[in-house]
Amino acid sequence: MSDANIVEVTGLTKTYPGMARPAVDGIDLAIPQGRLFGLLGPNGAGKTTFLSMLCGLLAPSAGTLRVLGRDIRQQAQAVKRDLGLVPQELALYPSLSARENLIFFGRMQGLRGGALHARVAACLEIAGLADVGERRADTFSGGLKRRLNLVIGLVHEPRLLVLDEPTVGIDPQSRHFIHETLRRLNRAGMSIIYTTHYMEEVESLCDELAIIDHGKIIAQGSVDTLLQQHQDGAIEIRTQQAMPAAVQAQVRALPHTQAVAVEDQNLFLKSQQPESTLRSVLALLQQEHIGVASVSMGAIHLEEVFLSLTGTRLRD
Amino acid sequence: MNATLYKLIAAVAKEIRVILRDREALLILFVMPVTFVLIMSLALQDAFSERAGIRFPLLIVDHDHGVIGDQIIQHFEHDNAFSVTRLRATPGETALPSAERVQEDLRSGRYKFAIIVPAGASRAAARRMDQQLGLTAAGKSPAAAVDIRLLADPTLRRDHRGLVISGLNRVLQGIESGMLLARYTQMTQRVRAMGAALRAPAKTTSTFADITDAADGGAQNGASRPDPVPTSVQQNAPAWTLLAMFFLVIPLSVTLIKERQQGSLMRLQSMAVPPWVLLAGKTVPYFIINQIQVLLILLVGMTLLPHLGGDALHIGHAPGAIALLSMAASLAAIGFGLLVATFARTPEQATTFGATSVLIFAALGGVMVPKLVMPPLLQQISNVSPLSWGLEGFLDIFVRAGGVREILPEFLQLLGFAAACMAIAVVRFGHGLRHN
Repeated sequence: MSDANIVEVTGLTKTYPGMARPAVDGIDLAIPQGRLFGLLGPNGAGKTTFLSMLCGLLAPSAGTLRVLGRDIRQQAQAVKRDLGLVPQELALYPSLSARENLIFFGRMQGLRGGALHARVAACLEIAGLADVGERRADTFSGGLKRRLNLVIGLVHEPRLLVLDEPTVGIDPQSRHFIHETLRRLNRAGMSIIYTTHYMEEVESLCDELAIIDHGKIIAQGSVDTLLQQHQDGAIEIRTQQAMPAAVQAQVRALPHTQAVAVEDQNLFLKSQQPESTLRSVLALLQQEHIGVASVSMGAIHLEEVFLSLTGTRLRD
Repeated sequence: MNATLYKLIAAVAKEIRVILRDREALLILFVMPVTFVLIMSLALQDAFSERAGIRFPLLIVDHDHGVIGDQIIQHFEHDNAFSVTRLRATPGETALPSAERVQEDLRSGRYKFAIIVPAGASRAAARRMDQQLGLTAAGKSPAAAVDIRLLADPTLRRDHRGLVISGLNRVLQGIESGMLLARYTQMTQRVRAMGAALRAPAKTTSTFADITDAADGGAQNGASRPDPVPTSVQQNAPAWTLLAMFFLVIPLSVTLIKERQQGSLMRLQSMAVPPWVLLAGKTVPYFIINQIQVLLILLVGMTLLPHLGGDALHIGHAPGAIALLSMAASLAAIGFGLLVATFARTPEQATTFGATSVLIFAALGGVMVPKLVMPPLLQQISNVSPLSWGLEGFLDIFVRAGGVREILPEFLQLLGFAAACMAIAVVRFGHGLRHN
């Protein structure tokens, strides 16, 4: 165990009563202090269960979990004082103003007096809500509500901020605002754990990530390292029309092919012998009179990393 | 200030602020019960006045013009429950109405009761008395009992008829006792004059008169005086207050479900706040609201209602008992609200189930239809409703002059219900959290 790690997890398991399969299955993970760490995985992969244990909301079935240097089972209250959670839902009171929401959650975090009001003012400033702080939250746009949702998690200046899909369903401008705010906070020294199923967000925002699927961590490292590790043998072909199911089946049956995914007119596959596989695929497409718009090899995104690891698309 | 207490006050203040900004909730919690109490108390005033026995119009048709007719008239004229109209066969009187005519008057509502004393009733009674004491010559045919007829409005309840029958019984027993005393006094004087001793008969075997209850078709004896009956406002004020208190099930369960769905409950649980503070922060405001509801409706019943032409609410002499009952009813309502919140998955489910179940409890509990007009079986079934316990408790205080001791059973029933609901809710709440 290292003091430099803000989260240390060993063999962490959570099995809900009556469920045959664990929701979180023996996770080992270490997140260094000061990182903007992405936790990536499809819906139902176990992200929220993992976060719930991390925030002291759920008791692990097995394993150890240390957060901020403390065992979450034994010192949950102490951990909670230094941890801020931003849930996926808009966890605020619509009939209260932005300021009233911040004051209430600040008080529940133990802030009072001048310190409370200073932090409320700072949070309104961070969220760009200083001019509308007296307005009821239910009069805000979706983007403004998301900003308020974010800064409520910051009101007590936590050392660790945990965000559960904070940008679901918002406009690009608000998403950009949230990303910029998180970068700024991270540069100021705050450790951040950011869960999402948007690959692009993690690629652009996080300096390190773990991919979780079926309750297990299937990859971990910096974004660049993971991309480099999985770019070999990757082929992406964009066709001019949709590929019939029969043709997809023929592609999957080609020798040396490890993973195949088709989405709209995009075909992604990994092969142990990419040049040979590419030739076979192009021949097959020509035979089936399917035009090819573009071909690329070795240039991949996290989406393809996930595909190569699991054999399925993240959004499936 | 202690950190936990500070957080509890913050949670309560926030919840009160949220409730005060919810116009629909305020309408349900305050305007609805006050409106119902005013409307129902005024609308049912006459019906309850009748049941409260304020003054039943009573017709006494006296064909006897003797001691029995005299004493019956005298007795009922002195009873505040009746306003007596007497028709006597005096020389100046016109012909007395027939039994059929009296029945018509009853049906028309002019009178609620009529007593017909037959001609010669007093003479016949004296003759029967003499026969029973063996003072008449042997061989004479036995005198029949005097038949005093009681006619009643067929819509009246049996216990109200019993009120008249018991009055008649008392009059007749008094007359009988007087006659017996007079006969014994005469006999004693005669026997003493003869220098002998007299033994009293072992017992008298029968009264000298029968009362025929025309509505019942048979003789009645010894009917008891009914329980005190509430006035309209004494029934309606606590009844609709309890309904309003239990209607907090809807805002309480809906707000809990919304907090669960919106993640604010999760956010609060991720903070260093003890779980009981979260629960108390949610329930204490509703407890306060319940107490304000009770106070408001009592004040409306005591002060506003008389200005609108209704009876003033008399709340008895046990404010401590009212407070205890009000607190127990509030805890029962809050417990039920928490229970609904843990079983319902959506606010819509909570609203539908909460409203329906509370209305069923209210209907069974005598809120909409007073228990005293329910058939006996339904009165027994109504005992499963917590609103019935609360209402009976308030009626114990308001109508039966009860105090803490008298409401103890209802108080404990409500607390037991609250404890059971809260225990199930806490178990379900924890289970739900583990699966979120």
